[in-house]
Amino acid sequence: MYGLQAIAAYNGWAMALAGALIVFSGLVILSFVISQLHKILNIFEKKHVGVGQEPEMSDVEPPEDKPWISLPKQFPTDIKEVARLYKPLVEEIGETFYLSQLYEMSKKNNFPHPHITLTAFRESNILISDGDGVFSWNLPTENDDNENVEG
Amino acid sequence: MDLLFQFLSNTGYYLADYRNVIMIAVGSLFLYLGSAKSYEPLLLIPIGFGILVGNVPFFKGFGLGIYESNSVLHYLYFGVVTGLYPSIVFLGLGAMTDFSSLMARPVLMLLGAAAQMGIFFTLLGALGLGFLPKEAGSIAIIGGADGPTSIFLTAKLAPHLIGPIAIAAYSYMALIPVIQPPIMRLLTNRKERLIRMPELREVSKKERIIFPAVGVLLCCFLAPASIPLLGTFFFGNFLKECGVTERLAQTARTAIIDTATIFLGLTVGASTQGDVFLTGKSVGIFFLGAVAFSIATASGVIFAKIMNLFLKEKINPLLGAAGVSAVPGSAREVHLVGQAEDPENYLLMHAMACNSSGVIGSAICAGILWSFLVGL
Repeated sequence: MYGLQAIAAYNGWAMALAGALIVFSGLVILSFVISQLHKILNIFEKKHVGVGQEPEMSDVEPPEDKPWISLPKQFPTDIKEVARLYKPLVEEIGETFYLSQLYEMSKKNNFPHPHITLTAFRESNILISDGDGVFSWNLPTENDDNENVEG
Repeated sequence: MDLLFQFLSNTGYYLADYRNVIMIAVGSLFLYLGSAKSYEPLLLIPIGFGILVGNVPFFKGFGLGIYESNSVLHYLYFGVVTGLYPSIVFLGLGAMTDFSSLMARPVLMLLGAAAQMGIFFTLLGALGLGFLPKEAGSIAIIGGADGPTSIFLTAKLAPHLIGPIAIAAYSYMALIPVIQPPIMRLLTNRKERLIRMPELREVSKKERIIFPAVGVLLCCFLAPASIPLLGTFFFGNFLKECGVTERLAQTARTAIIDTATIFLGLTVGASTQGDVFLTGKSVGIFFLGAVAFSIATASGVIFAKIMNLFLKEKINPLLGAAGVSAVPGSAREVHLVGQAEDPENYLLMHAMACNSSGVIGSAICAGILWSFLVGL
């Protein structure tokens, strides 16, 4: 049996339609649930604050969350130039740090595409893994560059 | 002299026929593509070498071939026909997958669902071409572009087609850079390809821990037949995200998935013995596989364009092509096609969101097809 006759005989139309609807509805429900997940978690976290207690977080953003680095209008494309812009952040965190710390700070300071930039730093060995998820900075300082040029 | 003649008549040189030679050429092509061109080397090299091993002619009855019940290859093949290896591969995939981008932009999950339409169109096509329903379901799942899922469903529905279906699925996954970009360009204009996606919000640790538990319950309650795949997939992801089982997650995403991939690839390759593999059905499977993969890509892109009619914040329709579950090949291809128009357009993270929802979607489809077809 071939063609439309075979499709109809084996209930193909119903299987295809029902299958498509089921997979769509499944993923729509899942996407709806995960879109609400952070809101539900926020509600639970607010409930954890005891009655009569002041909430731990005020509605006003703490001053340290505000960006303190002014970025150039034309963001550089050269990885070393970008690394120089990141340098003040690294100096703020300390010699060794977790990537998430650097990521959060770069987001607070409105650095574009921090995730991709950090990946590029790792690939260029500007961020060196010290093991256990800890990283350190490996960009030569301007003095080092000058020494290299002179040397 | 008789002894020498008997020995010679048992060698591969004497027993070989043209089908073995063709399959050895195919295996060599896989090895070339995997090693010289780096097309999915982790898959094509085990499969390619398996094809060579499986097509060495041998004297039947010695317990050497993969289809002979007392052979070593047959025991290794057990993991394929029972669906064991695909399940283990999914464990490792779960331990590798970062769902943050998907959780940050859940609407992209719809593109993963849309790309599964290739499966259901191909089901109709295969039935129309005269394949039996169980065979048609197994062929259709190639449209999910997920090798382990294709092997799992075929093992359950049409085990005699594992070889051609697995080879077709993995071939098309390796050929993503050839198949997908023309379809993406054909269905989108430059203005659409230039659409930039906003930076994704940060996803909290708690959300990432809860997601696999919610995911497994919602998906497996809907399609319980997908438990062997999605159960291990979300379990692997929970190991990764919960933060206290990093050692287990590390093992799952390295040693365990690598071991399963080696045996899966080798035995699937070895199952393509020329006399079993080179049939008219295999040609039909390859043709339908290409159709399935192309429709899946097109469905995702077209659905993204339909979504743009209703969304205020437009989605780059190229992302729809990453709704197939070929991780991370199709996401990488979407990113590259986007960057070809605008080098500063970073679509990779968004494309990975579609890709990971494609994995979930194709596993659900496998469960649905298994439930529909098991009784036929």
